[in-house]
Amino acid sequence: MRTFLWLIRREMWENTAIWMLPALIGAALLLAALFGDIDLASPAALSPPDQPPLGGALWLFGFGMVIFAIGWAYAAWYLLDGLYGERRDRSILFWRALPISDVKTVFSKLAIALVVIPVVSYLIANVVTVGMALAVTVRASSPNLRALLWKPQHWLELQVLWVYLIAAMGLWYFPVAGWLIAVSAWARKSVALWAVMPILVPFLIERWLLHTHAIGTLVANRFTGFLSVAFHNNADEAFSFAAVAGRTKGLTVPDRSIWELINPVGLLANTSTWIGVAVGGAFIVIAIELRHRRVEQ
Amino acid sequence: MAPTATKGPLISASQLTKSYGSRKALDQVSFSVDSGCVVGLIGRNGAGKTSVVRAILGLIDCGGDLTVLGRNPFRARAALMMEASFIADVAVMPSWLKVRQALDFVGGVHPRFQRERAVQLIARAQISLNDRIAELSKGLRTQVHLALTMAVDAKLLVLDEPTLGLDPVVRRSFYELLVNEYLDESRTVVVTTNEVSELEYFLTHVIFLDQGRITLASDIPSLLGRYAVVEVPTDLMATARAWGPVSERQILGGSLMYFEQPETRELESLGPVRTPTVTELSVAILGMQS
Repeated sequence: MRTFLWLIRREMWENTAIWMLPALIGAALLLAALFGDIDLASPAALSPPDQPPLGGALWLFGFGMVIFAIGWAYAAWYLLDGLYGERRDRSILFWRALPISDVKTVFSKLAIALVVIPVVSYLIANVVTVGMALAVTVRASSPNLRALLWKPQHWLELQVLWVYLIAAMGLWYFPVAGWLIAVSAWARKSVALWAVMPILVPFLIERWLLHTHAIGTLVANRFTGFLSVAFHNNADEAFSFAAVAGRTKGLTVPDRSIWELINPVGLLANTSTWIGVAVGGAFIVIAIELRHRRVEQ
Repeated sequence: MAPTATKGPLISASQLTKSYGSRKALDQVSFSVDSGCVVGLIGRNGAGKTSVVRAILGLIDCGGDLTVLGRNPFRARAALMMEASFIADVAVMPSWLKVRQALDFVGGVHPRFQRERAVQLIARAQISLNDRIAELSKGLRTQVHLALTMAVDAKLLVLDEPTLGLDPVVRRSFYELLVNEYLDESRTVVVTTNEVSELEYFLTHVIFLDQGRITLASDIPSLLGRYAVVEVPTDLMATARAWGPVSERQILGGSLMYFEQPETRELESLGPVRTPTVTELSVAILGMQS
């Protein structure tokens, strides 16, 4: 465990972007909100005075999600480079001279991508969201909006939503994480190409020869299926940013609590969730075995 | 921790075989290394030195039997690294790392790391703990790497062409540090090189490798006792050749001839006889460039 914590610290030293990237984007968002020439009236106008507890939270959630999205994109890149970079710069020969098993090393990289980066995103998203809310409160004239922004219930719901998102995405996209780390252990160069080609080429061959889309559907479902598996059916509508920030006047945002949206039971009861976890596990075993065997020449 | 009170040799290798495609990097290599020895693995590029070293360190899997400190290195690399350390090449320290972080990290993961010792060695080289590896010259990186490695109380140290690509001054200081601060009777070192001259004075044993095979393995005194070099003048060269020298090198006014088992022949009759150096023998036996 001690070794594992040192490995995590090591990753944080090397990849300062883990917190620098979301912090810089967050700072930019805050600066834009404070001093930017943006029309704060329109998001204010679209919330009818008697409406909607969650609508306000979702409006903020939109900004928080920018931070999360950047965090996840970075995590994907990080995994892809995780076991490749150390072979590229040959530092693997330094790390492997230490009494640290390949299992621990690979798991430390997965922990960074699936736990540390999302948690950092979560913390920074909170700071940014509070900052945005403050900026909006100062700059917007509508008292309705102010009242809407500072309902404790919204903030609590936002926390529930984000924590749930971190856990649910980690579970659902586990096979993607496994695939990326396996590719990074495998590829001798062009990791990005290796990450895409083994899926793209069979997909194209299947399309041309058999005129079917089994592979495409499988992959597409993994990427797009998350919302429908991890959230109740009504989520799409509530999540649609357009529903909140859309131009349609008089649009009513459904008044639902977060507990009616998230669907942890559905996620955990879904077979594809666990098939995905098993596939991800298999990729991780491959990654560990490859790191054990592959030596730079 | 697994028992490491190894009886017998520290490293014992039997019939090691490793192929890369059709090329045999190691072909039935057998040897053993006892505790306290400083063994030089000597051979030309591609002779199999690095393969032997990587097998010892558990970085590659090969055929045959290999035991290092009582363990199979490939299966138990992490455990082996508790008691063994290695420098594969001084150019592999990650450039983003700060010296202080390197000390913290190695201290955090290695129970046998003596931080004070490393700090002392680094301070002596006038390197600041806040320096990044990227900011240090090759020579100073070498010092940091050596300081980290020497501060680990390891039973076995493996060095694979540690000075490759370094300038002569840095190379010398690398070995000076090693000899003055690290080597004693309790240390076992395996070092590969194709620059025999810089380490021949502290080797206790040599293993000559050629095309994946061991051509000679010996301790230094018996190696040197086994050969003699004679400065043969031109007029005696035909006679001398008839006695079957293992190798011959042209010099001004004659030739240097290397003979095996000098006690069996009257070599003095050919010219001045002396004991060759390990460097000379590596040239004579392996055809290495001096």
